[in-house]
Amino acid sequence: MFKYILKRLVMSVFILLGVSMIIYFLIRLMPVDFIQDKINAINQGGATVSEETVNAMYEMYGLGDNSFLGILKGYFSWLGALATFDLGTSFVYGIPVADVIFEHMGISFAIALIATVFEFLIAIPLGITAATHQYSFRDYLVTVLVMIGISLPSFFFGQMLKDVLALKLGWFPASGLVNATASFTGIELLLDYVRHMFIPILTIVILSIGARMRMTRTNMLEVMNSDYIRTARAKGLSEKVVINKHAFRNTLIPLVTSLAGLLPSLFSGAIITEQVFDLPGIGNIALDAMNRGDIPFIMGYNMFLALLSVIGVLLADLMYGIVDPRVKLE
Amino acid sequence: MEELTNKETVEEVKDTEVPLDKSVKLMSPTRMVVRRFFRSKLSILGLIMVIGLFVFSFAGPLVYTRWGEIELDESGKTEYSVTETTYTVNGEEYTLRQTTEKTLKDNFLAPPSAEHILGTDNEGYDIFVRLMYGGRISLIVSFIAVFLITLLGVIMGGISGFFGGAIDNIIMRICDILICLPGVPILLIISTILDASEIDAKYRIYLLMIYLTFISWPGTARLVRGQILSLREQEYMVAAEAMGYSTPRKIFKHLVPNVMPQLIVQMSLSLGSMILYEATLSYLNLGVKAPYAAWGTMINIISTNQDILQNHLNVWVPAGICIVIAVLGFNFIGDGLRDALDPKARR
Repeated sequence: MFKYILKRLVMSVFILLGVSMIIYFLIRLMPVDFIQDKINAINQGGATVSEETVNAMYEMYGLGDNSFLGILKGYFSWLGALATFDLGTSFVYGIPVADVIFEHMGISFAIALIATVFEFLIAIPLGITAATHQYSFRDYLVTVLVMIGISLPSFFFGQMLKDVLALKLGWFPASGLVNATASFTGIELLLDYVRHMFIPILTIVILSIGARMRMTRTNMLEVMNSDYIRTARAKGLSEKVVINKHAFRNTLIPLVTSLAGLLPSLFSGAIITEQVFDLPGIGNIALDAMNRGDIPFIMGYNMFLALLSVIGVLLADLMYGIVDPRVKLE
Repeated sequence: MEELTNKETVEEVKDTEVPLDKSVKLMSPTRMVVRRFFRSKLSILGLIMVIGLFVFSFAGPLVYTRWGEIELDESGKTEYSVTETTYTVNGEEYTLRQTTEKTLKDNFLAPPSAEHILGTDNEGYDIFVRLMYGGRISLIVSFIAVFLITLLGVIMGGISGFFGGAIDNIIMRICDILICLPGVPILLIISTILDASEIDAKYRIYLLMIYLTFISWPGTARLVRGQILSLREQEYMVAAEAMGYSTPRKIFKHLVPNVMPQLIVQMSLSLGSMILYEATLSYLNLGVKAPYAAWGTMINIISTNQDILQNHLNVWVPAGICIVIAVLGFNFIGDGLRDALDPKARR
């Protein structure tokens, strides 16, 4: 087991190296030029920037040489800094990239965590009723409803909820995280957060219930057809006990495993949802950084996501072995 | 899948007795799948939705030729604005009401009428017609992407699973790397690179989808590889070996057809997700760009224009409904196929 984990970890390092190389080269090919924007801003202020200063600035930011070797050199210096746990300094914010990520990760994490809890709370019972009443009207109704949820584009549904619940009915604020005009403290501040996060979370939950519910339904159906369920029924156990004690527990195996796979989505931020509701989460910040050519931040953010998915896959495999003793890891 | 038909001619039957294979109706596996597929109401509904959208997008513009995709309604629009100014002269109040009549060249944001079935958008384009052209783009692009993903996935997965060893190891590690690439952020990066390369607005979405193919094939490759690993131990593969068949023939004629059921299901489900991807890109103004129409592009306007979001639902809601119908249709079909192709399912 220990050897297996070690092997996987070594492999993960190589995967991340490959990922970082691809991302770095792509980013350097991006035409958005942070330095040029900065110089333009200075020029607009009336001052002129000499050629030497421009070149010095490019050198300072490590963007001087855009040939293949130049990019390669830039990549290795980035990698070298990473070895000392330094992701570089964000061009736009002027503070270390890691700090920017951690600062904005909290809000994304809070939204994703709450949404995930609700997703499980709603999806699992729905999946179980759909499975125990297979092919009934209830099954069809639940299936059709969650399928519509899966098929909704997040930007369309988010805007629709915003239009109806926030702008037309005025029940919730349309965007942002806090009420800028009022200064709340304590419990009132918390309520204000809740009011602001309600629609974004509702959007995410409705869009993601489908996948989880269908997963539960499929697994439940598989379990319900197995021999030990027939045995349990033959023993004369009540249907309630059969479903809740015998069937449901075994349905949990893939659900628990999928929990580990959720890790990346918990921290990565929902780019589109955050953009629609103008939330200062990590996804929205990344979208902004992308438009402004903040190379260290984009690099750091993408590597953060890649790291999360590597860990997520590894954890999912390990969980699988722990939850289901029949699975042998090698 | 080979059709198992009851073609074997019955040797002359001398008795009046009806031969067994005539009294018992034999059904080929394909027909059984088709029957099971059509037994589910949801799959039929999905099929109707998808076919309907195809007819709407591809035949629609041929039938309804009143407006073109990028044809502005230049019939003009008159806008009235009223300004009221209140003066107080000698303690008495006078209100001066000034009405300004402004004639604009384009008839934009027109409400639905006989002239424009769904009205016009903020530029003066006919929304109904643009829905059709947008559908063309979405459907073509996602079909191309899914086709390429499957092709690449089958080839790489097939090679990987069949040969094993070092080749397998290399291909699978490439898959690991590609799977860990964050999808949307990288699409954003590629899209800005495309912006600079001055590619015609019409073709950039195709390039983006090719990139999407490039990062999406590992899923299919893993599926194919997993199947082939278990299939190659089967007796009929030993038989194929004994017959001295060439390797490509063994892979693509004997192994791949047996992976087809899973592949078909995955293809129809990923058609839905490709449409969502395309729409999201266009919504972020990274995919199909104005003046060309795509469903996502048509919704993009509301992210900056609150007035349209609130007061001109006819501009953006129809495009969203089209996306939902398309994705839902493909999901229903995929689901129906999964149930129909599952040999364990008996219903």
